[in-house]
Amino acid sequence: MAQESTEIARGLRRRDPDLLDRLIEQYQHRLLRYLLYLTGRRELAEDLFQETWVRVLERGHQFSDKYAFSTWLFAVARNLAIDHMRRKQPASLDGLLNDGETPFDVPATGRPSAFDATLQREQNEQIAAGMEHLPAEYREALVLRFQEGMSLEEIASVTCVPLGTVKSRIYRGLSALEPWLKGAPL
Amino acid sequence: MNTTNNDAHERARKLIVLTGSEAASGGDPGQLSSTAWLAAHLETCASCRAFAGNVGETIRGLRAIPIAAERNLVSTTQIRVRRRAVELQREREHLRLVWVSCTAVTLCALLSTFALWRGFEWLGERAQLASSVWQVGFVVFCVMPALVAAILLLAKDKHIADHTGSYQG
Repeated sequence: MAQESTEIARGLRRRDPDLLDRLIEQYQHRLLRYLLYLTGRRELAEDLFQETWVRVLERGHQFSDKYAFSTWLFAVARNLAIDHMRRKQPASLDGLLNDGETPFDVPATGRPSAFDATLQREQNEQIAAGMEHLPAEYREALVLRFQEGMSLEEIASVTCVPLGTVKSRIYRGLSALEPWLKGAPL
Repeated sequence: MNTTNNDAHERARKLIVLTGSEAASGGDPGQLSSTAWLAAHLETCASCRAFAGNVGETIRGLRAIPIAAERNLVSTTQIRVRRRAVELQREREHLRLVWVSCTAVTLCALLSTFALWRGFEWLGERAQLASSVWQVGFVVFCVMPALVAAILLLAKDKHIADHTGSYQG
């Protein structure tokens, strides 16, 4: 991983467009998913997705190969999201709470065939709906932990909060999602 | 007694949430004792077992939510990034050109000032002038272009103002 980070850091310093193309391909789903959960709005998430990669190009020289690229990438995306919200209204991440706009989309899973698939889809919908009702900072912690598979330390680094806060956000976030799994009204 | 039980449940629930996914993927050796304690607790506590089951399902559900970037978004982003890379490259080249020009102008100015100084000194000696005289002459010569330009600009402004005034009048 260190070797990969070194190569990425070198390429970013050179502003190598081929490397950036490759990174965009590689991190497309993860970054969009993170932004989507962070902002709660697909259109905004897609705008921020593009902005993030432009920022990666411009500030690539600041990436240090001591860290994983994904940690830095998510931190860049997060800062852009916060900047966006500050421009809109002076606030922190709390401003990313849903404001009644388009809710999360849970697209069809691909091969709907059996009863299990339907059940799974319903459960996904319930969890997605539950996520929609969570405060943004809990949502973010859950996405980074369970969808991105980041360590608690990495999440603390991305979100710039102490480790204890990360733990408490994950705990509270999961606890808050529990009723939705049990079938809270959509 | 009750408080101790509550503490144990609380600890178990926190461990389930925070180490659940790590335990599944091998875990951290430093947490093995906690994991062993948790396993022992889960054997005896039905409510925490149910909680662990729910958390497991929630985590699986979270991982199963399919969110994918559209091909169009990816290609648009790649094009935008490449375009910006070209812009930045162009800006860098412009900046380099400005630096080279500034350096060249500074060098030329230093050289020509030195040559002019020596020229005025030579003229002063030939004309047997006091050094303060040719030095003042040198300063006037250096400042003259700027002075002339300022006077011309002022005169032009005044001319325009007079002209506009006569139309308005």
